[in-house]
Amino acid sequence: MRTVRKLFYGGAASALLLATSIAQADVTVLGWPGGPEETALRAATEIYNARSEVAEDDKVKLIFFSRDGFFDKLQADLAAGTDAFDANLLATYSIGRYAPYMTPVSLSGDAADVFGESVLKTMQFDGKQYGVPTDLSLHFLYYRTDLIEELLADESAAAKYGDISEKHLGVRLEPKSPDDWTWQDFAANALYFSKSVNPDSPTRYGTVLQLKNLLFNIMVFHSLPRSYGADWMDADGNITVDSDAYREALKMYKILVEAGATPKDSFSYEYAEANSAFGSGQVAAMIQWNAAAADLTDTEKTPVTADVTKTIAPPTGPDGRFTHVHGLGLGVNANGKNPDGAKAFIEWLSTEDAAKAYALAGGATGLTSSVVSDIANERPDLVPLGEYASNYGFVMNGGTSAKALSVYELQAKEFTDYLSGGKSLDEALSATKDGMADLLN
Amino acid sequence: MSQKVKNLIRWLVFILVALIINFPVLATLSASLKTAAEISRNPGIFVQSPTLENYASILEVSERLNIFSYLQNSLIASTIASVLPIVLCFPLAYAVARRGYGKSLIFPTVVNLRAMPLIIFAIPLYMMYQSVGLLDTPLGLGLILAVVNLPLALLILVNAINDVPFELDEAARIDGARIFVILLKIVFPICLPALATVFIFSFITAWNEFLFGLMLTTTDAVPMTVGASFFFSSGGGGVQWGVAAAVIIVASVTPVVLGILMYKHISRSMIAGAVKG
Amino acid sequence: MTRSTENRILATPLVLFLLVMLGFPTILDIIYSFSEVSFENLRSPTFNGGRNYISILNDPEFWSASWFSMKFGLATAFAECILGLVLAVYLAPIIRKNTWMIAVLIMPMMIAPAMMGLMYRLLLHEFVGALPHYMFYWLGDSPAFLSRENVFTTVFTIETLQWTPFAFLLFFMAYEAIPGEMREAAAVDGARGLRMFWHIEMPMMLPTIAVAFFVRFIDGFRVFDNIFVLTGAGAGGATTSLSIYIYLSFFRSGEIGNAIAASVILFCVSFLALFFAGRLLRRSGA
Repeated sequence: MRTVRKLFYGGAASALLLATSIAQADVTVLGWPGGPEETALRAATEIYNARSEVAEDDKVKLIFFSRDGFFDKLQADLAAGTDAFDANLLATYSIGRYAPYMTPVSLSGDAADVFGESVLKTMQFDGKQYGVPTDLSLHFLYYRTDLIEELLADESAAAKYGDISEKHLGVRLEPKSPDDWTWQDFAANALYFSKSVNPDSPTRYGTVLQLKNLLFNIMVFHSLPRSYGADWMDADGNITVDSDAYREALKMYKILVEAGATPKDSFSYEYAEANSAFGSGQVAAMIQWNAAAADLTDTEKTPVTADVTKTIAPPTGPDGRFTHVHGLGLGVNANGKNPDGAKAFIEWLSTEDAAKAYALAGGATGLTSSVVSDIANERPDLVPLGEYASNYGFVMNGGTSAKALSVYELQAKEFTDYLSGGKSLDEALSATKDGMADLLN
Repeated sequence: MSQKVKNLIRWLVFILVALIINFPVLATLSASLKTAAEISRNPGIFVQSPTLENYASILEVSERLNIFSYLQNSLIASTIASVLPIVLCFPLAYAVARRGYGKSLIFPTVVNLRAMPLIIFAIPLYMMYQSVGLLDTPLGLGLILAVVNLPLALLILVNAINDVPFELDEAARIDGARIFVILLKIVFPICLPALATVFIFSFITAWNEFLFGLMLTTTDAVPMTVGASFFFSSGGGGVQWGVAAAVIIVASVTPVVLGILMYKHISRSMIAGAVKG
Repeated sequence: MTRSTENRILATPLVLFLLVMLGFPTILDIIYSFSEVSFENLRSPTFNGGRNYISILNDPEFWSASWFSMKFGLATAFAECILGLVLAVYLAPIIRKNTWMIAVLIMPMMIAPAMMGLMYRLLLHEFVGALPHYMFYWLGDSPAFLSRENVFTTVFTIETLQWTPFAFLLFFMAYEAIPGEMREAAAVDGARGLRMFWHIEMPMMLPTIAVAFFVRFIDGFRVFDNIFVLTGAGAGGATTSLSIYIYLSFFRSGEIGNAIAASVILFCVSFLALFFAGRLLRRSGA
C-alpha cells in the first residue's frame, strides 16, 4: 500500500511539474458567458489577435463557463491552482475573495483618462489594481410612461393616491413624475397600482421585488437603504447594519410585500422572473439591473410594454440618490501558463481604442465623459450609465473585502427571513450584525 | 359493475395521471415552439404560431456553444458510468447475496454513498484529477459518475441474484465448476434483465448529473446538462424561456429514448418470465 | 480455493476502484474535517481538533436542514410508494395488454432534476407560466406556489410527481412477477379483490416495497438540484435541505472544514442506521 501511495504522489508531483513547465502557445481568457459582455469581448479579442505586434504565442483564445455556479466553480478552480486559463473574470464584490490567486496588473498610461478613477477603483483591492474594468452594473428605475401620464392627468386619482399612501405609509402623497420620486413615492405608486390595494388598478401589481434568497437580489435592494444613509460599517469598523436606515428600508419592503404590491411568488424571483413579470404588462414600475434595459425596450422581445417603458436613476431619499454599482473586468490568474501574455492583453484592453471598441460591440463600459462623447451616437445609453455611476454610484464600506460575497449572502438569508415572516426585524438585524462582525473583522 | 366499465375508468385514470405527471414536459415542449413574444402573450399550453426559431438559435451559436460536443461528452461519460458499476458490482453482489459476505462493512458503505452529498469530494478529486490529467476529460467525469452509480447498481444486483434459484449454481458447483464460470455462464444470463435495468438507470443518472459536470470540466469535456445552462443566458443575462425550453428538450431526448427502450426491455422480460412461470 | 479467498476476489474490483477513486479524497476530507481550512489554505490546513464538529452540532441551521431533509425524505418516499402501489395494482389489468403505457408513465424520471426545476420555474411563473395561466382562467386566482407557507407542499409535489413513476415501475414489475398459481390457489380459497391484495399479493411485494421506500427516502433526503434551481435556500433558509446546507457552507461561505464535518456526521449516522437495520432484518429473517 505504501509503495502504491508513493507511486501515486510521485506521479502526481511529476505531472504537476510537467504541467507548469510546458508553455501553452496562446493566452486563454475566461469571460462572463452570454449577453453583451461576451459579444463585446469576442469583438475586442478579434481586433487584438489581428494586431501585428501580438506574437503568435500571445494570441487570445476565449472560454466560458456556465453562469449557474460560475463563481463557485471559479473559486474551486483558482483555489486548486488551475492553469486552464490565464486571465479570468473579476467582479468588484469578489476581488477580495480571488485576490490571493491573482497577480496585480499594470494598465496603460491613459487608463485613468479613459475610465476615470472611480471606475478603476471597482477593480482594486488593498490599493492594488487587479484588473481592467470592462462593464458596469448598476440599477435603473423602470417605469411605464402610459400609466404615469394617465395618473397625472386624472385628478380624481390623486385623492385615492393620497388615501392609499396615508393609510399604508402614514404620509399623504401626491402623484408625481418618476424623475422627482423619493422612495416614499415609489412605494405609494407601487401600492396604488396593485389590485389588492386598489381594485381599479390597471395592473395587477405596482412593482416586482426580487426576493429569492440570493446575493444579487440584495444588491438590488441596497440602493434604497443607502439613500437613507445606510452603510455596512462606520469608519472605525463597527457594524452598522442595525441602523435606522436599514430599518426604514426593510420596513418599506415589508409593507409592499404584505399589501400585495409585488407578485405572490416574489420570494422565488430573480432577474429573469422579474423581467417576465414586468414585460407581461401587469407591473407598473421596478428597480432592476441596467442590463435588462436592452430587452425590456425591444419591441420584438417585449411586445407588450417595450414602447412605454422608460428607465431613469433609482428614486432619492433623505441622504440623496444612490445606485449600487459594481464592475466586471478581467484579471490575471497567478497560476496561468502565460501570465505575461495575459498581462499584455489586459493592458491593451485599458487603452482608449480598445475600450471604445469594446463599448461599440455592446459592452456596458464605464467611460469618462470626454471618451464617451466620441461614441455617444452609437451608444447613447452609455452616457447616462457613466453619469449615474459617477454621480450616484456607491460601494458599501467593506464591499470589496475578502468576505463581501458572504456578507451579501448573509443579508439575503436574514432579510428574506424577515420579509417572509420568519423572524422579527430585530432578530433578523441582530443576527445579520453578529454574522457580519464575524465576517468583516 | 361490468369489467368493461371498470376498464374504462382505468383508462380515464391513466390518461389523467399521464397528463398530470407529464405536464411540465408538455408545457416545456410547447414553450420551446413559441417565440419570445408569444410566451409572454400566451402562457397556455397550446401554441398559436409554432416556430422552430428557438431550436435554430441553438444551432446558430454552435461555433461557440457546440451542442454536439456536449452530447458526445455526455454519451462517453455516461457509458463509462453505466458499464463500470456493472462490472464492479456484479461479483460482489454475488458474494453478498449468496454468502452474506460484506454485509456488515462493504455493502452498507457502498449503499451509504448514495446518501452522501458527494460534492464534498469535489475539491480533493479536483486536485487528484489535476495531477493525473483527468481534469476536463470525459473519462474523468465518467469515473466519478460511476462512483455515483455504485449504490443503486449494487442494491439492484444483490436483489436480482437473491431471486436466482440457489439450486442452479449449487448444481454447477457440485459438477466442479469454478466460481467465475458459474458467475459468467449461469448467474449472468439469468440476471441479464436486472443488468439492463442497472445499465439504463445508471446511464440516465449519469446523463442527468450536474454538479460534478460543472466542477470537473471546463471546455473539452462539458456534458449536456452543464452545456444546457450555457444557453440559458445566451441572449441577455436572464433566462430566455424559449431557448431554455428548446435546450431542455434536446438534452432530454437521449434519456427519454432510453426510457422507451427500458419499457420494451421490461415488457420483454415480463413475457419471458411468464413463459418460464 | 476456499470460500473466503473467493469472496475476497469477488470483492476486489469494487474495493480497489473505491480506494483509487475515493481513498485520497476521503483521507483529505477527514483531515479537513479536523482542520481550520478554507479555499485560501487548501494545501496547508491547520489542525483545530474537533472544533468543526462542535460548531456544526451547535449550529441551529444544521439541525433545521437535517429536519427539512428528514421530513422531505419521509414524506416523498411515503407518498411515492403509496401512489406508485395504487397505480401499479389498479392499472395492471390494462397495462398488461398495453405495455406502451409504461413508457408514458415513467417519462418524468428520465428528466434531469435540475432541468425539472427549471421547467417549473417557467411553469409556475405567474405571468408566463402555464399553470397560473389556467388557474386564473378557470378559477380567477392562482395560489402563491412558492410563498413561505406553500413552498414545502410545492417542492414535495414536484418531487413526488417526478418520482412516483420509479415506485410504480418497481411495483408493477414485482406485481407481475407474482406467480399465477398463487393467485389461483388463493382464489380457490375464496380470496379476491382487496383481501387477495392484503393477504397474498402485498406480502409478496414487501421486499420490493422496502427497497423502493429506502431508495426514495435516501434520494428525497439528499435532494438538491430541483429545489436549488427553483428556490435556492429559500426565504430565510426555508428550503435548505442538508445537501444545500453543505453545498452553501462549502462553496459560498468557504467553510470547508464545517461542510465536510457535517458530511462525516451524516455518513456515520446513516451507516449506523443501515448497519442496525440490516442486523434487525437478518435476525427477523432467521
